[in-house]
Amino acid sequence: MIRQGLLICLTFIPFISLFFVVPSFEIENNMAIVHTIGLIVILSGINVWLSMMCAWWLLWTDSRWKHVIEWLVFLPLFIPMLATLFGLYLILAEAGLIGTYVGVTLALLVVTIPYSIRLAYNGMAVIGRPLLEQARILPSRRRVMYVLYPLFSRLMRTIALFTTVILLSQFALIQLIGAGLIPTVTTELYQSYAGNNRGLALSNTWMLILFPVLLYFLLSGWDRYMVRMLKGRLQ
Amino acid sequence: MLRSSVAVTIMVSLLPLTALVFLAIESMGMDWGSLLTNETWRDSFVTTIYVVSVSTGLSLVIGTWLARTVVQKGWRFLSSVLRLPMFVPHIAAAYLFWLLFTGMNGIGWIEANERNYVTVILTYIWKETPFVFLMMLGTYEQLNRGYVEMAKTLQLSPFDQFKHGELPFLMKPLLDSAWILIAFISFAYEIPALLGVTYPKLIGVLAYERLSTGLYLEATEPYAVALVWTCLVGIGVFLSYVLTASIRRRIERGVRR
Repeated sequence: MIRQGLLICLTFIPFISLFFVVPSFEIENNMAIVHTIGLIVILSGINVWLSMMCAWWLLWTDSRWKHVIEWLVFLPLFIPMLATLFGLYLILAEAGLIGTYVGVTLALLVVTIPYSIRLAYNGMAVIGRPLLEQARILPSRRRVMYVLYPLFSRLMRTIALFTTVILLSQFALIQLIGAGLIPTVTTELYQSYAGNNRGLALSNTWMLILFPVLLYFLLSGWDRYMVRMLKGRLQ
Repeated sequence: MLRSSVAVTIMVSLLPLTALVFLAIESMGMDWGSLLTNETWRDSFVTTIYVVSVSTGLSLVIGTWLARTVVQKGWRFLSSVLRLPMFVPHIAAAYLFWLLFTGMNGIGWIEANERNYVTVILTYIWKETPFVFLMMLGTYEQLNRGYVEMAKTLQLSPFDQFKHGELPFLMKPLLDSAWILIAFISFAYEIPALLGVTYPKLIGVLAYERLSTGLYLEATEPYAVALVWTCLVGIGVFLSYVLTASIRRRIERGVRR
């Protein structure tokens, strides 16, 4: 019990800093919040869709290319993120996408998708082929609504959360690819930190922590509502 | 729709490899001799190796120990609490540690920005241990306890019990976690930029700053460093997977039987 308590305390210690300074609660740049929320929604949606589809394909395919594609989609995990970013900068500069919303979204998708596929693939492997195989005899709409969605809803929530956390961690990527034209809460935190405005920096930190928490509760509530509704329909 | 989604995913996954090709093309005019003899880069390289080895090593050991303890003792609440740091963005974690070790309110043991990069290492351990913990948790939950029981019956020491009854099964998740962490920590910007010092900088910070303060498309040095670093990590990944291939294959076959 003492050991457990000690480990919990160690985990929570850094959160004490949130109460050292009074956050300013002033919003310097509304566009930063709008951009952040926009990127979270777009990227979470694309990541959930592409990763679930890819993991599903990897689980069932008999293609002789399966192992090659498996390696290909997991390989970016072993490439340092900043190296990918430097190369992407050169590619996107050739395509004229530097300083655009599309360029930033594409770069963020490149760095988040390997993690999402890994999560989706592991999640499906834990559920196991036999259970999913039984679901395949149902017509596709019923299969998705009554079996796959309830089974994968937690997995999809985790993917959305991870995507959000990785996105909110990116300063160098957004600054370089966005050419300073696309402000997010993360880039604002850096500026307030450099300007030595602790109150503003802390309010940005609060926001960075609260975004994933809010998303977690929103998605959990949505999951619970959907599963209850689907159960009601089945009775 | 499934095939087209997979095709899009493959195209997105090919972009990092294409990015490396672009880095190679851009690094062509590089004077490699001057890069290797440059003292600033050399000091950064040594400091980066130190920070990466300590952060990765400690995260792996603590994460594995936590997963083992949580499964053995059935601590479900602790298991949920330990995941929390994963959902804090890296930059927010860095700022929390900065506040924790700076100013009048902070813990006075060490400075937030100091030459030994202690706060950077602590932040990485706090952030990455939950990742290792989760990777190991799945393996420990499925681990066949029979091997450990047999090791106990043979009266092996606790370390030998772990070495023969558990370690071979942890090889794959440990390797995966180790290289993901090395790739992530070694060439990152946000945490070391916030908590680091002006000299020596970690290699990711130095490369990014050289790129962003110079002429973006004509700065060959940072591109060359990024390429070399990726090659080093790539060689490490390749060698470690090749060297452990036979033992991993034997375990997979054993599990299937």
